[in-house]
Amino acid sequence: MGFDTILQILIQGLNMGLIYALAALGISLIWNATGLFNFAQGDLLTMGGFVMLSTFAHWALPYSLAFVLTFAVMGLIGYLLSRGYFFPMFSQGLHPDIIIIGTVALTVLIQNGILLLWGPHPQRFSTPLGDRPVHLGQIIIMPYYLWNIVIVLVLVAVLQVFFKKSIIGIAMRAVAQRPITASLMGVRVNQLVALTFLLSTGLAAVAGILIAPIIPLIPEMGGPVALKAFAAVLIGGLGSFAGALIGGVIVGIAEVVFATVVVPTYKDVFIFVILIAFLLIRPRGIFSAEISEKV
Amino acid sequence: MAKLAYLKRIGATPAIFLVLALIPLTGIPSYQFYILERGLQNVLVVLSLVILLGYTGQLSLGQAGLVAVGAYTYGILCVNYGISPWLGLLAAPFAAGLVGLILGFPSFKLKGPFLVVNTIAFSEIVRILILNNENFTGGPFGLNRIPTIFNGLPLYYFMLVVAFLAAVGTLRLSRSYIGLAFKAIRDDEIAAESMGVHVRNYKLLAFVISSVLAGLSGVFFANMAGYLNPDSFTFNESSTYLLMVVLGGMSNAAGGILSSFAVTSLPEALRFMARRRMVVYSIILLVMLRYTKVLEIENFKRLIRRMRPVPAPASAPAVDRDEVNS
Repeated sequence: MGFDTILQILIQGLNMGLIYALAALGISLIWNATGLFNFAQGDLLTMGGFVMLSTFAHWALPYSLAFVLTFAVMGLIGYLLSRGYFFPMFSQGLHPDIIIIGTVALTVLIQNGILLLWGPHPQRFSTPLGDRPVHLGQIIIMPYYLWNIVIVLVLVAVLQVFFKKSIIGIAMRAVAQRPITASLMGVRVNQLVALTFLLSTGLAAVAGILIAPIIPLIPEMGGPVALKAFAAVLIGGLGSFAGALIGGVIVGIAEVVFATVVVPTYKDVFIFVILIAFLLIRPRGIFSAEISEKV
Repeated sequence: MAKLAYLKRIGATPAIFLVLALIPLTGIPSYQFYILERGLQNVLVVLSLVILLGYTGQLSLGQAGLVAVGAYTYGILCVNYGISPWLGLLAAPFAAGLVGLILGFPSFKLKGPFLVVNTIAFSEIVRILILNNENFTGGPFGLNRIPTIFNGLPLYYFMLVVAFLAAVGTLRLSRSYIGLAFKAIRDDEIAAESMGVHVRNYKLLAFVISSVLAGLSGVFFANMAGYLNPDSFTFNESSTYLLMVVLGGMSNAAGGILSSFAVTSLPEALRFMARRRMVVYSIILLVMLRYTKVLEIENFKRLIRRMRPVPAPASAPAVDRDEVNS
């Protein structure tokens, strides 16, 4: 295997990995804020892709406008879900397992809602860079690979600034660390947890937008993608920002490498074996977040 | 007298099974009969989760994988090796139990969502292995012409007897030393350990018992359908099983049995809605989950107590009136 092939594999893996990382980041944020593991993240991702399909491909809005609109619509859905569904369950003091199962039931609703609204046929749309592959020597690069990588890196930088500098971001981190202390400092905890849900579904939606040029959108795609995101977030370390990113990239690259070098049919098994190994040997992941003591 | 107390303790379960035994005699149409059979097959999985989640507090979304292990062990032994279905019936739960033993080990360290993801990963691995080993399992084309133990009505009554035994076993387990150890682990692992409960062994035992029941359910699935396909054992199936248990009250066997039939027949009852049916189904489930507190059996008991006419308020009428009004 030549150097070109390795580079090709790395670019492909990095690309998928960053998409998994976005979804994983959303899971991590909600986990930090509420101790809830959101199993519906994969289906929210799919739904984001389909909303983008409507706004960008069907209504022919400009890409940037459609992108922002999709983020807003999905963010609103996340906000309403937390306010209207999960908050009342938290405040009732329900068993945490029941609330987790609530997110599982949500996957059924979202999948079938998508099926009803957009139909069962695979759909796809591209990026403003088009679909013409770029040849760099032996390497073939699809333009959306570059597009995705740039978008995710910009988004991560923006999020970093948001969490470190903006008052809302700092308050969010405070809520994640010590909710009671945060509320004593005048932070409206409920409002911020709802905002965290908004941000998390928004990130899932972006992942859905970016995945559509690579994997055609179908209503049931959320499950397999979500499993990769779960693997990413647990390998990287649940609750850690860097963990979600690194975990996502590890999963993405491992998947492509295994598919090319060994056999494509068992690439998912390979990821799950790595995941189980991590869970057994180092359950807190690579970056064990210092704040996620909710185990 | 002791018999009566025992009957009271196992509660509504014998009554439910009596009704289940009588329903096919009323000559219901074959489609409704099929749904009834499916419900009965799901009862075994629900009981397996009552033990695992309800008693021991170990959340699992891999139950479909265990059902698949049972179903395919039975199918492969009977189709590829021509082994008698009765031996298959014994071998399948055994195989599922062995797999459950392995699945139990991660539970020593993992809790909550970590354990759940682990069970999902296991279930997916099983599905992918089935899908890609065509020589053994038929892969995506499925396993055809599986010999059955019984067919039609005899199969139903056979399943009914097995499910009844499993239900009584589950109920007896609840009060036994083992069941109390399970519940101690659920409520506080460290306290249980310090009281002399060998947490690891009991966790493994819970996983094994639960897997055997799930494997048994798989055998019945193979018997009912005569055909196996990996699509029948997906994440969606696992989550449906979990929903049945939660709506039944988690550690309540009778509630679980009822909700198993309710959740199995709900999508069929909604068939008139055509394309909208699964959306409505999931909304109903979400609403029921949201109000699980309200659905608890204790609330119904309280309601009935309130509706009952107040027996002659001789001693303390003021308190009784409060009770009625509140």
